[in-house]
Amino acid sequence: MEVTLTHYLVLSTVLFAIGLIGVMRRKNLLMLFFATEILLNATNIAFAAISHYIGDLTGQMFAFFIIAIAASEVAVGLGLLIVWYKRTGKIDLDQMNSMRG
Amino acid sequence: MEIYLYIALFAPLVGSLFSSLFASSPKTMITGYVASGLLFTSLVSSMILLSYVMGGHTVHVEMMTWMATGDLYIPFGFVVDQVSVVMMMVVTIVSTVVHIYSIGYMDHDKGFNRFFAWLSAFVFSMMVLVMSDNFAGLFIGWEGVGLCSWGLIGFWYHKESATWAANEAFIMNRIADLGMLIGIFMVYWNIGSLQYDVVFEQIGNLPVVVITWIGIFLFIGAMGKSAQFPLHTWLADAMEGPTPVSALIHAATMVTAGVYLVVRSNPIYDLIPNVGLFIASLGAFVALFAASMALVNRDMKRIIAYSTLSQLGYMFVAAGLGAYWVALFHLMAHAFFKALLFLGAGNVMHAMHDELDPFKMGGLRKVMKGTFVMMTLASVALAGIYPFAGFFSKDLILEVGFVEHHYVIYAVLLLTAGLTAFYSFRLVVLIFHGEERYKLFGIHPHEAYKFMLVAMSPLLVLAIIAGAFKMTYYQLVTSLLPDTQYHVHSEMTYWIMTIGTQLFVMAAIAFAYKKYGNWSGVPDGTSTMENRFCYKLLWNQYYIPKFYHEVFSKPYGELSRIAWKQIDLKIVDAIVDGIANFIYRTGENTRDIQNGNLSTMLRWMVFGLIVLVALAVAFSVGYNAVGA
Amino acid sequence: MIDHILTLLIFFPALAAMLGFVVAKNSMRAYGITVAAIEFFLSLWLWYAYDPMVSGMQFMESMPVIPAFGINYLLGVDGLSLFIIILSTFFTLIGIASLTETRRLKDLIITLLFLEMTMVGVFAALDAIIFYLFWELSLVPMLYIIGAWGGPLRIYASIKFFLYTFTGSLVMLVGMLFMAYFYYQATGAWSFSILEWYRLILPESFQMWLFAAFFLGFAIKVPMFPFHTWLPYAHGQAPTIGSVILAAILLKMGTYAFVRFSLPLFPDASVFFMFPIAIIAIIMIIYTAMVAYAQEDIKQVVAYSSVSHMGVIILGTFALNVEGVSGSVFLMLAHGVVSGALFLLVGVIYDRRHTKLMSEFGGLASVMPRYAAIFGIMMMASVGLPLTINFVGEFLSLLGFYKQSHALTLTAGVAIIVGAIYMLAAYKKAFFGPVTNEENKHLKDLNKTELVGLIPLTIVAIWLGVYPKPVLEPINNSVESVIQLMHDKAQSAEAKARIPNVAGNDETISIQEAH
Repeated sequence: MEVTLTHYLVLSTVLFAIGLIGVMRRKNLLMLFFATEILLNATNIAFAAISHYIGDLTGQMFAFFIIAIAASEVAVGLGLLIVWYKRTGKIDLDQMNSMRG
Repeated sequence: MEIYLYIALFAPLVGSLFSSLFASSPKTMITGYVASGLLFTSLVSSMILLSYVMGGHTVHVEMMTWMATGDLYIPFGFVVDQVSVVMMMVVTIVSTVVHIYSIGYMDHDKGFNRFFAWLSAFVFSMMVLVMSDNFAGLFIGWEGVGLCSWGLIGFWYHKESATWAANEAFIMNRIADLGMLIGIFMVYWNIGSLQYDVVFEQIGNLPVVVITWIGIFLFIGAMGKSAQFPLHTWLADAMEGPTPVSALIHAATMVTAGVYLVVRSNPIYDLIPNVGLFIASLGAFVALFAASMALVNRDMKRIIAYSTLSQLGYMFVAAGLGAYWVALFHLMAHAFFKALLFLGAGNVMHAMHDELDPFKMGGLRKVMKGTFVMMTLASVALAGIYPFAGFFSKDLILEVGFVEHHYVIYAVLLLTAGLTAFYSFRLVVLIFHGEERYKLFGIHPHEAYKFMLVAMSPLLVLAIIAGAFKMTYYQLVTSLLPDTQYHVHSEMTYWIMTIGTQLFVMAAIAFAYKKYGNWSGVPDGTSTMENRFCYKLLWNQYYIPKFYHEVFSKPYGELSRIAWKQIDLKIVDAIVDGIANFIYRTGENTRDIQNGNLSTMLRWMVFGLIVLVALAVAFSVGYNAVGA
Repeated sequence: MIDHILTLLIFFPALAAMLGFVVAKNSMRAYGITVAAIEFFLSLWLWYAYDPMVSGMQFMESMPVIPAFGINYLLGVDGLSLFIIILSTFFTLIGIASLTETRRLKDLIITLLFLEMTMVGVFAALDAIIFYLFWELSLVPMLYIIGAWGGPLRIYASIKFFLYTFTGSLVMLVGMLFMAYFYYQATGAWSFSILEWYRLILPESFQMWLFAAFFLGFAIKVPMFPFHTWLPYAHGQAPTIGSVILAAILLKMGTYAFVRFSLPLFPDASVFFMFPIAIIAIIMIIYTAMVAYAQEDIKQVVAYSSVSHMGVIILGTFALNVEGVSGSVFLMLAHGVVSGALFLLVGVIYDRRHTKLMSEFGGLASVMPRYAAIFGIMMMASVGLPLTINFVGEFLSLLGFYKQSHALTLTAGVAIIVGAIYMLAAYKKAFFGPVTNEENKHLKDLNKTELVGLIPLTIVAIWLGVYPKPVLEPINNSVESVIQLMHDKAQSAEAKARIPNVAGNDETISIQEAH
């Protein structure tokens, strides 16, 4: 069986859905980061696949950008997370509601 | 001559303003003297104008612009011609008498000054009404007399019945005034002017339908002022006012304004004989209708009020049948003897300490000789006995009905003449003859002041001799009004009619003397007569006031409350508040989105994302579909 | 100075109000009266300098504000606005002179002077944005007056007043923006000048939508049925001075705007909506008169009577002929004088007894004869008796509309009956009958401060009823030009027929067709 663009896109969608569900359901901040990573990588797959398929490198270039941004995001996010953990001893999302309107 | 016109017109206004300066201060005789003196000046000026007009001239002045916009131009213009000068004479004579009489009548009243302010203001309004040379000016006077009538009926404002009657009179007149206003609008938009001379000249060019409507709407106005059925109930209730007011306003002048309007608008009504016939029929009906109510009433002033109503019916018969000069003549004669009758009744009221039930009087002729003579003669004049004023004017109306072949109207009027004689003398007999029933109530009657009787005497003289002026009058007014002579063709018929009428009327008087001459005791509602259906029907004025109360006043009040409590507060305002509340609650409910909980926010974010994607897909599909 | 008199008229009170913050508390009243009097005499000077024979704008001033969008500080007066400006300054003077309020008098006077600025501004503005600015600004001082000096429900009433009228004017603003955009499309330049807009002939469908957008803003302000429910609350809670200004001037903004915007801008739409609006006006006249009859509070009677009279004004405006529109402009002034006076009068007994319920009174005519007399005169003016100011306006308004529809005028004419019913009933309850309430036996009659306000109003009410010419003539000239403009611009045959050709000369004078 030949692997076509559709397969990649299906994989990307499934991953994206998993990530989305993770974003929605997870209460642990660390797990949320994982879910975000899954989301980002789902788009990366789609970018790379489409880029290859239409023979335009711009997509793959974008994927690299995303990887770079994701890395920095995780770095900043984990830093914040650690600070938060040191302050409160918890990383539960429901506890973070000081922005309540 | 203009100067006399202005004096005649504005002297009463000056008197009124002068008196109103003292309105809230205690009684000062000076207001009475000044107001009466100015009224007398007005009378003298009117007489000078009368002699001038009799010389074949008229006076027409335009004082200043009142309203001018677009094509509309309404000045304050006044005209003294053959018709208005007659009205001016009637108004000034009666009001001068009433003013002087009032100095005595209102002697003990706290509102003495205020009374003269209102009374003179009334005369001014009435003069504006009759002297104006256009419909708008007439309307000023028309509303002005309505206002003064309101103030004077409700003069004793601490009495609930008086203020109620005042408001009733004002509102009923306003209903009619709406008709009049519409009539004025029609005249303006069809002719482009409200000046009498222009209107009467061009009215013939309009289609008959339009003229008919103009005639009808103007007559609706006249119906209100002259208290014609079905707007008649206010007149009897208006008797709550002081008696001089009843004499001046509700007998001699204001209520005849409707007749004046029809007479003045004769070029209009001449073109629409159908409306004229309707007016005449209504007049005949009112004549009988009012007379029937007077038969059983036990309130002296109301009896005279019904008799006024009945006589107004006569006038409308004449005016409706095109005999305008006859109507005006009866208006004049009636003003004299009816004012006299009312003033006499005022004397009796004073003597009896405001007792109004003639059954509680009796035998007063011994203590009140002057009043007795005056009221009797006035009643004779009212009954139409030769050679008193009423004979010349009222019999003429009967002849008009006969000559114009409206025999039903004639018959009704003849019957009414009998009734009139009967109830007038029922009143006279009950008050002045028979047993002195007032003694039962511990009242000590006394005659009125001498000068009041002297003041009344001009009216007495006129009530007796006014008929003698008939030919002079006829020659005067027929230069303006259609001069139709009403002669019964055969001399024989004429004499039979005249003598027959006289005999009939005298029989009615005799019957009144026989029935009430030896009356004793006061009816207390137990006699068989008082329990008959007819009696009750008449006693309750055909249940019309009650009907109005149940069908108009009460539902209006109820509806108003519903409009406020149910519709305005519970529907209109509630919807507005509902919308505001909805917005407020929406905000309140969606506040949870901003609860600060990250996971909820993320969920909303995802939800928004999905919606956006869905929209994007939907629109791109739609766009492609259109594009393809 | 005469060249900039309008700017002076607008900003003098505002400047004086700002200076007022440093004036000592106990001399504030004298200060306020002086400022208002100077302002009033300035407005009289404006009248004196005004040429009544000219129908167009006079004393025009122009200064660019945002030239890129054609927004100019553009002022001018004609017969329509001149007298309402004078009325505004007159009422501010009378209002301050007869103030009986004692709480925070200084703040109140400052607020009133600011309010005066916005009122004069609205009527003098000829640029839609400037107009809108003053229109909205006028809400603020009134919000304060009701909210700070009002009765127990004042917060509810003031918020309702503010939000309700504000909502309407936002829709109006959208209409204005669209109008300017349309002008841009048609001519290639932006302009918010009303006079420039007058030259446009809009397609009928646009007219309908724009008319509706403006209508909402104006109708709520007037207030027209069914948008009137804010008014009884506002009046019920406002202090006397607030009610006086609200009834006398602020409501007139709506009716004035109809004549200034709706009629000349959208002649076809005006004809199209004439009958629906006339029916609303008739509902206003009869329905609110009935509601007024049911009231127990005398101030509410006057408040609802205002709505009823505004119905006649609207009817006259949509008569679309010179008689009717002149009558309605005149009636705006008349109603201002009469309702302002009636609210002042109601304030008099409220000051004495701290209640406005008619059942608490009765027999006042014998205790306070002068008060009863002035109240009586004003009541009769309100009822529309000839030779009082109201009659001229009502007569002309109804006369004008009679040309358009006989049956509707007959129905609207019921105004003179129902008006008499509620007014006489209220007067009877409060003034006639015996004095039943012990507390009323020793009420004092009008004092000097109160007479200062009431006597000039009484004089005006009778003077302009007997001799309306000095006011009616300038109004008439300006109205004629408005009607002529409408006739020339009208496109549909019906509109051409319903709007008379005043000048009688040939059509299409210098009107630019939009493409």
